[in-house]
Amino acid sequence: MVIGGTRVLVSEHLGEVEWDPASELLLPGGLPGFEDERRMVAVEVPAQRPLVFLQSVDKPGICFVSLPVRTIQQDYEIVLSEDDRAALRIAHDASPEIGVDLLCLALLFPSGNGLEANLGAPVVVNLHNLRCVQSQTEADARHYRLGEEGRWEPVC
Amino acid sequence: MLVVRRRAGEAIVLNGDIEIEVIEISRTRVKLGVRAPRHVTVLRRESVVLAQQNQSAASLLTESPETVSDLLRLLGSLTTNSPQTSQVGADM
Repeated sequence: MVIGGTRVLVSEHLGEVEWDPASELLLPGGLPGFEDERRMVAVEVPAQRPLVFLQSVDKPGICFVSLPVRTIQQDYEIVLSEDDRAALRIAHDASPEIGVDLLCLALLFPSGNGLEANLGAPVVVNLHNLRCVQSQTEADARHYRLGEEGRWEPVC
Repeated sequence: MLVVRRRAGEAIVLNGDIEIEVIEISRTRVKLGVRAPRHVTVLRRESVVLAQQNQSAASLLTESPETVSDLLRLLGSLTTNSPQTSQVGADM
């Protein structure tokens, strides 16, 4: 559905979402396990900040729940591989900064009765062109689990 | 596990039609080339694990919505509101 310059998609989880095609995220290779998901929108529900929902544009049932990585680990830094830089169209000698040039989101997934996030594989958005990859610069996962007091604790 | 010693330029063949060649060896890495029929999927091992993790992440809102509610409660912000597409990066 198109309303003026914006469009409306009906998410199975979020209901009606109005979005501007100019804010659409482009995932050239999709995400591992979801290689066909090339178009997504980042959705915030104001009362549920800092959560960011990554909703598929094409499949109403596909929606990821994520958090900006620095809400989990304040001093988080990322090292992009050459493949990631190429996908994001970032020069090999550039030093992009999180929050200025990049948005880094950790996908949340269920673990036992709680939640985990893998900071070793964030979804990275180039804020200048909205191209997006799931970066995996570390072969070993860096899992954090949500503790009972709302703090994220590294999983050993 | 079968262990095979190979030099750069040498290869092994799997199942008669999948060839894995050692392209280059550096101090910390080995560059491999894979020749395989089109229907054969070739993935890094960590990508297979990540794909399973992403499948689990995609099921979160369907199968464990209470954990998201718990998270929001812990963050002290469990109320309802209309969804908005984000101006990504503005305050993230």
